[in-house]
Amino acid sequence: MSFQIINPGFSSSIQDYGRTGYKKHGLSQSGAMDEIAYCEANSLLDNKFDDAVVETVFEGLQIISKIDTFISVTGANLDFRINNKKMPMWESIKVFKDDILSWNKTIEGNYSYLAVKGGFKTDIFFGSRSINIRENIGKKLKKKDILKCKSYKDLKLKKSKNIPKYNKKKSLRILPTYQFRRFNLEQKKRFFNQFYKITNLNNRTGYRLKGRPIIIKKNEMISEGISYGSVQISNDGLPIILMKDAPTIGGYPKIGTVFSLDLSFLSQKKENEKIHFEPMEIEQAQLKRQIFNRHFEINL
Amino acid sequence: MYKIIPAGENSILVSFSEKINSKFLPFIKNLSLKLEKKFPKFIIEIIPSYTTLHITYNLEYTEKKYKILIEEINKYKGNNKFSNSKLIKIPVYYGLDVGLDLEKILEEKKITLENFIKTHSSKEYLVYAIGFSPCFAFLGTIDKKIQKSRLKTPRIKIPAGSVALAEEQTAVYPLESSGGWNIVGKTFLDLSIKNPENINKFNIGDKVKFEPIDKETFIQNGGRL
Repeated sequence: MSFQIINPGFSSSIQDYGRTGYKKHGLSQSGAMDEIAYCEANSLLDNKFDDAVVETVFEGLQIISKIDTFISVTGANLDFRINNKKMPMWESIKVFKDDILSWNKTIEGNYSYLAVKGGFKTDIFFGSRSINIRENIGKKLKKKDILKCKSYKDLKLKKSKNIPKYNKKKSLRILPTYQFRRFNLEQKKRFFNQFYKITNLNNRTGYRLKGRPIIIKKNEMISEGISYGSVQISNDGLPIILMKDAPTIGGYPKIGTVFSLDLSFLSQKKENEKIHFEPMEIEQAQLKRQIFNRHFEINL
Repeated sequence: MYKIIPAGENSILVSFSEKINSKFLPFIKNLSLKLEKKFPKFIIEIIPSYTTLHITYNLEYTEKKYKILIEEINKYKGNNKFSNSKLIKIPVYYGLDVGLDLEKILEEKKITLENFIKTHSSKEYLVYAIGFSPCFAFLGTIDKKIQKSRLKTPRIKIPAGSVALAEEQTAVYPLESSGGWNIVGKTFLDLSIKNPENINKFNIGDKVKFEPIDKETFIQNGGRL
């Protein structure tokens, strides 16, 4: 009763909605980098909002199904195929015993998700199945790994109604949080009136941007708790957007926090893609996130 | 009224002071415990740090609940003593072969190894914050005689168990990680969460005392050079 890894590809790991309640011990939240794709993948299978999926970066992943069940694939377009036949993403699909699922070529984005009906029942570490390599929690998927899951016979097949257009979105909405008020007009102008480029220093911990630096004087401060999506201005005056595996506390000033759902789009951006920041009211972000949470029945 | 600023669409940061002051620590810690108990479903995460409390809350609750939380914070008169704080003893081998920056510090500070060990290990340190990586405890404050600024270029790999210092702080790296602190010794204890019980090893308010051991004891107990 399982799926088995034939080839883990560039980098694959089990992720779920993330770890909660352990930040006070220094454990980051972890969990799927692209929350929209992750939630869609589970929703297409009538899974629970926090069921575990496979998150894979770029191409190369090959998995064999040892059971008859249902799956869905969302996120980056990595030329998903079953038994070498091109298959649709963003919908539930029936798979059969000995089907070979493969992600063959990076066409758009970075992170792709494979959900299975009922979720993958891998080991739970501190309340979550999410792997965090930086924290030495669990391991990346490797050849021959067995991912336990159940067989299902019935499911009403569905298609996603709102597929994110990753390439189209160039702006990240940002909330005035943390030290926003301490940055002067000149600094804010520079921050909001330019296109930044994504560097090659991107991973599950953070996305580093390049552009014209903000001029800063004293930059280090007393370490304080970090929010998902907070935008830290480093000593070189350039932003780092903190993602799912970021440390829990840090001592750099933060000019704001990116609206959580825009981070899904950011996670799929590649080196040299351009983005800019747009101010957003906190109340508006809360409303939009509430709608998202209710749609996917997220209760935290 | 404390300074409360937004930290995200569902998080806030409460500031209690502008400067690090160990007097505020028990207050912050006790308030965080109280809030956790009082709002078990509403509060998703709470991160106490040196002078602040970072709170992530559940957006599914009403605004009224949020107001009650803020009131609760503002009316907290506090308890300025740590409850249940414990003393943790950590055996440390201070040797030039594991303390990669020890020689440099001895030279710069014009202090003998013996004197350095005495200075670093004679004090009971307070756990000021937990973070950076799982169970990484920021300890302070160390004697001025042995304070040293961070490395200009952080190391990519610091072995697990390394005892390090930076400015007025000291710590043990519970797992192999990158980092910019000066390494002065090593413990054979496994403080990582590979042993899940270690999750509660250090808490804000606990005291830590380093106990010098010789190379033989270090190796006999499974310490690796």
